[in-house]
Amino acid sequence: MNIDLSPEALEYGGLVKRALESAGGDGLLRTFESEPERRDGVISPVLGELGAWDLDPRGSGDELEAAAALCRAVGYWAVAYPVAERLCRSATLESDGLVVVADVAPAAAIGGSDLRWAAVTLDGRRSLVTACPLVESPRTSAFVARLMLEPLDDDGADDVVLGVLLPCWTLLGMLDRALDLVRAYVLERQQFGQPLAAFQGVQFQLTDAEVERAGLEELAKYALWSVESAQPASLRDALAVRVAAIEAADTVFRVAHQLHGAIGFCDETTLSWISRYSGPLRRLPFGLSETLHQLSNRTRRDGLPGVFSGGQGQ
Amino acid sequence: MTSPPPPDPEPFRAEVREWCRTHVPTGWRDAQTGVSDEEFVSFQKQWFGELREAGYAVPHWPLAWGGGLSVGEQIVLYQELAAHDAPRLVLAFVAIHHAASTLLAAGTDEQRARHLPAILDGEIWVQGFSEPDAGSDLASLRTAARREGDAYVVNGQKLWASGAKYAGWCLLLARTDPGAPKRHGISYFLLDMRSQGVEVRPIRQATGESHFSEIFLNDVEIPATHLIGPENGGWQVAQATLSAERGMTMLELAERLGHAGFTWLLDACRRPNAEGLRPIDDSLVLDRLAGFETEIAGLRAMCRSLAVRHETGHVGPADASVVKLYYSELLQRMTNFGADVAGLAGSTRIIKPMSSGWESGAWVLDFIGSWEWTIPGGTSEIQRTIIAERALQMPRA
Ligand SMILES: Cc1cc2nc3c(=O)[nH]c(=O)nc-3n(C[C@H](O)[C@H](O)[C@H](O)COP(=O)(O)OP(=O)(O)OC[C@H]3O[C@@H](n4cnc5c(N)ncnc54)[C@H](O)[C@@H]3O)c2cc1C
Repeated sequence: MNIDLSPEALEYGGLVKRALESAGGDGLLRTFESEPERRDGVISPVLGELGAWDLDPRGSGDELEAAAALCRAVGYWAVAYPVAERLCRSATLESDGLVVVADVAPAAAIGGSDLRWAAVTLDGRRSLVTACPLVESPRTSAFVARLMLEPLDDDGADDVVLGVLLPCWTLLGMLDRALDLVRAYVLERQQFGQPLAAFQGVQFQLTDAEVERAGLEELAKYALWSVESAQPASLRDALAVRVAAIEAADTVFRVAHQLHGAIGFCDETTLSWISRYSGPLRRLPFGLSETLHQLSNRTRRDGLPGVFSGGQGQ
Repeated sequence: MTSPPPPDPEPFRAEVREWCRTHVPTGWRDAQTGVSDEEFVSFQKQWFGELREAGYAVPHWPLAWGGGLSVGEQIVLYQELAAHDAPRLVLAFVAIHHAASTLLAAGTDEQRARHLPAILDGEIWVQGFSEPDAGSDLASLRTAARREGDAYVVNGQKLWASGAKYAGWCLLLARTDPGAPKRHGISYFLLDMRSQGVEVRPIRQATGESHFSEIFLNDVEIPATHLIGPENGGWQVAQATLSAERGMTMLELAERLGHAGFTWLLDACRRPNAEGLRPIDDSLVLDRLAGFETEIAGLRAMCRSLAVRHETGHVGPADASVVKLYYSELLQRMTNFGADVAGLAGSTRIIKPMSSGWESGAWVLDFIGSWEWTIPGGTSEIQRTIIAERALQMPRA
């Protein structure tokens, strides 16, 4: 079992990262927060030129890996545009994108989007979506809108796995960035006559965060392999990644904020923006307790094969 | 010989309950949501006035200055205020805790007589300690005060001053002897914020609020009578202020967490969702709740014992640090859990009423806000250092 992304996928991720940087980098999110209507006009063409919208992550392993690398790069710049959600659109529905929703009070960070959206629950119930207009500015809503659903069918079992998994890759990209930011910050900021990074108490926190991030990365790659090779446990693997992603995000952002001191709460720091827009990915369609609950219900029923069992569920 | 038993606080509890029933403004949460600065300030001042009338505004002060409640009574008061969801004294916080404890510990009779009654009349204070390059390493501060006749002339910049835009007075640390070792050249001043040369610039935060400001000081004259404690002895005086921030303020916050925050968390967990399922029926959720309840009980006991030791002058050198560390990290975990169980409602509605506590029930915002707690008044790392060096007698790193 080789769970590493292909060199092509890695290269593609690098391309996307650089393209988004040229298109504005950190400035993108700042622009979109004050002018939400510009998002589609800016992001769609940049990623379109790189073939993002032609990717069919359900079609082949190569494309799935490219899609994951793409989401990660998008997370790195926290562009607050539903890329993962567009990429995991259903093959069998007339829509431009797909979001996974909870059974009650459905919501997703697709506010202000003109695209056609579909939704699926973990049990595979699918519906067409009308997003309610954003009542509050993206600054406080982070583009999360309540959704009105028009039920369609119960055939979404194939759709839901990527719907859970790809947004975790976006979140992984955000954690990559948060760690880069905090690492650079503690190397530069001096207190007591030396860089913060020289204090072992600071180093240990950073390493704890990195261990969480690295663990998530491995699990996310494993789940990708699980989808690629059509493992029966792929939904549970995706949910396990989501648990790891939420936990890793808690640690990474806590450490990143703590080590930034007071400045981390101010919009002069990119960390403040990234952590604000990581919120929807961590809380929707549901937070840690409910994700664990869903995972444990399914695991109780079917078992969880895991990385070292040769990939066979019981 | 045993000391006499403390007076039974139950009659006092009945009195406070009755007072809360008739005085806590109904609907203040809605009325304080999304309000202007002016409305916030006027609401805070009015609420402070009501508490003062009842003798509840500064229960921890000495009797002679308008306080005088026993620790047991203070706890009862804070419990009932929390249980009745009373607004918090956000605006007066620095005045009634930091400024008052500094004045009581180090002020002259004139300084006390000038400011303590004024605080009871609503004088607002801000703490001007931190600077761009002096955060954890506070002793490296560079704002300079030069003696000229009967005054000091002050130049420099302060950062992260909470509530500076409302404040009439500032607790200011400045360097008076640039030649002395860092901690020995600092003096402590009472600065009138209306003095010429003081400029306040609010800083915008991730939550959208401007909780704190920068203060620029440009040739500001402070009369020498506004020096508090000895010249170049400001570091020792500041320790009193900081230990108030770490220690005594916790009594109220711990009771809040137990009697408001935890109650709301339970409510959120008992609320059935559309399918009639209650989070509290999930064993994972129940485990977490039981864990929080245990920790809160521990916190409240620690705060009570700290307050009692404070009264009797037996506070250990790191006791306040232990409590602050415990509270701030517990608050973080609890609000994170609140944001988790509150689910969607917590995600789309990201606004919280002014005048509310660190746990307002707007869990997502409370969680973001809770991160701030492990930073001011000495970060968690600095608290750990204090505990290691002063309580556990570890060598200095
Ligand atoms: C909500 C809030 C309100 C505040 N209100 C006020 C106020 O009213 N008045 C005021 O004067 N100040 C105020 N402050 C400022 C506060 O006191 C400082 O933020 C604090 O002292 C930390 O300084 P810093 O932010 O510069 O972080 P830094 O000192 O730069 O620290 C950054 C990180 O490095 C860590 N670190 C630093 N040194 C060490 C070490 N030796 N070992 C291990 N780790 C270390 C810190 O713990 C922190 O995690 C407030 C801050 C906040 C967040």
